[in-house]
Amino acid sequence: MQIYLPIAELSVNLFFLVGIGGAVGFLSGLFGVGGGFLLTPLLIFSGVPTSVAVASVTGQVVAASTSGALSHYRRGGIDLHLAMYLILSGILGAFGGVATFSILRANGQLDLVIALGFLVLLGFVGILMLQESVRALLKQRQGVVVRERLPNQHSWIHGLPWRVRFKKSRLYISVLPVLAIGLFIGFVGSLLGIGGGFVMVPALVYLLRVPGNVVIGTSLAQVVAMMAATTIMHAVQSQSVDIMLAFCLMVGGTAGAQFGAAAGQHLRGEQLRGLLAILVLAVAIRFGLSLVLTPSDIYSMAVASLSR
Amino acid sequence: MSRLLFALLLVIFAALPAGAERLISGLSNDTVQITSSFSGERLTFFGTIAPDAGSNERVAEGPFDVVVVILGPTQDRVARLMTNNFGVWLNTEQVEFRNFPSYFHVLSSRRLLEIADINLLNQNFILPEAHAMIPNIAGFMKTLTFGRELIRLMSEENLFGVQENGVLFMSDTLYSAQLTLPSSAPPGPYIAQTYVFKNGEVIARRSEGFAVRKIDFERFLAQSATQYPLLYGIACVVLALFTGWLGGVLFRR
Repeated sequence: MQIYLPIAELSVNLFFLVGIGGAVGFLSGLFGVGGGFLLTPLLIFSGVPTSVAVASVTGQVVAASTSGALSHYRRGGIDLHLAMYLILSGILGAFGGVATFSILRANGQLDLVIALGFLVLLGFVGILMLQESVRALLKQRQGVVVRERLPNQHSWIHGLPWRVRFKKSRLYISVLPVLAIGLFIGFVGSLLGIGGGFVMVPALVYLLRVPGNVVIGTSLAQVVAMMAATTIMHAVQSQSVDIMLAFCLMVGGTAGAQFGAAAGQHLRGEQLRGLLAILVLAVAIRFGLSLVLTPSDIYSMAVASLSR
Repeated sequence: MSRLLFALLLVIFAALPAGAERLISGLSNDTVQITSSFSGERLTFFGTIAPDAGSNERVAEGPFDVVVVILGPTQDRVARLMTNNFGVWLNTEQVEFRNFPSYFHVLSSRRLLEIADINLLNQNFILPEAHAMIPNIAGFMKTLTFGRELIRLMSEENLFGVQENGVLFMSDTLYSAQLTLPSSAPPGPYIAQTYVFKNGEVIARRSEGFAVRKIDFERFLAQSATQYPLLYGIACVVLALFTGWLGGVLFRR
């Protein structure tokens, strides 16, 4: 069954949209990430214009993360205080990201920067996560007890000025690294059309030492708020948010996320992180190849301006 | 009474001597409505070639060739070229084509180059290449190369095309042509220009307009997105939050 997308101005199979929404939603529920880094490339591949895909996926990420964030909230898995700092700096970063996005699109370098961004970001994060989870799994097999949080493991990052007490995370750290993480993820997330959960989670775990029980919930809460703001910014600036497209993806995504979250409870943290690392690396390699391999068509076209 | 007079005049004019032919044409719909289930639409162009009012001939003498050119709203488009720099493929060169048709299809009754001279076809913008040959600041050779590639890309998207058996003659003077407008056809005003050729010359032409437009809900959405972008964005977010919440409630176990 075909459905016409009024902003993208083309018709796409409805079941295909709901299907990929559901599949990516499952993964997002499983790993506690928004899933944008899989959905955006999939949509572009199926013929949706890049700008519409990026802007509409931000709307989908909001929906996919909302149900997850709410269920974590009910279980008390969100550090609202910490999330607030991340959200405020994230929205600031998103302003810069959306502005950079339109400049790059006008210059024809958007695809290059997106590919490079995905390659560097996903490659780096993927390798770190894979290393860490393999080490943890090996240690476990050898019978070494792995503790979630080691005492006195504070690094110099925690000692910076403006210390704030985050009760739920049992942390007393400087707000500077918190704001820097939010700013960075806001910028990169809105530029690449991703929620940034796969960067946020490791950043919270390894840099800030946020305990495991509040990491995913806090990350999801931040993704919801930041992506909601980014959706509005994209709607105002590029007017390329397709509400029909986003809604079809949302329906699939929210359903998939529930099953993903349920499946995630049967897996251990190290296994989850290992699987996510492999997924992230696969996408990074895919983007890396697209930069290096001879493209099937060295010519491409785009609409220069909507109306002039 | 007036109808009788008109018929009388028609008979008199038809009996009068003198030359040329005229084209009487029409098309199946003057609007193509885009609804939520829009997946393209088939249009039929038809017409007949009749002796001009004042000709003494009863029927127009052929053989005729008919060419129908369908032109969509224009846009500014860029064609870009990727080159390999130090192992990485980058967009390095681009040419902008101002007022380039977003849709262009030619239907003809015979091979275009057999119907008329290439210069005549280019003058009338009947060949796709004619649209890319308009002088451009990028320079002649570059415009030529990039223009050809742009037309190839548009053809691959089914937005440009030439069907040299697209016009069918049902008698010596009665023709019809069918065009399937793809769902990616951009909304806006379209022009269908019909040319009648005889011995390599244009002997009659007519143009008709039709519109491709979104109606009802699709129209409402597209208008809100451009006229009230802030409200539209907020509506998207509210919808997303609601869907996410509802999903959580429905599937909670």
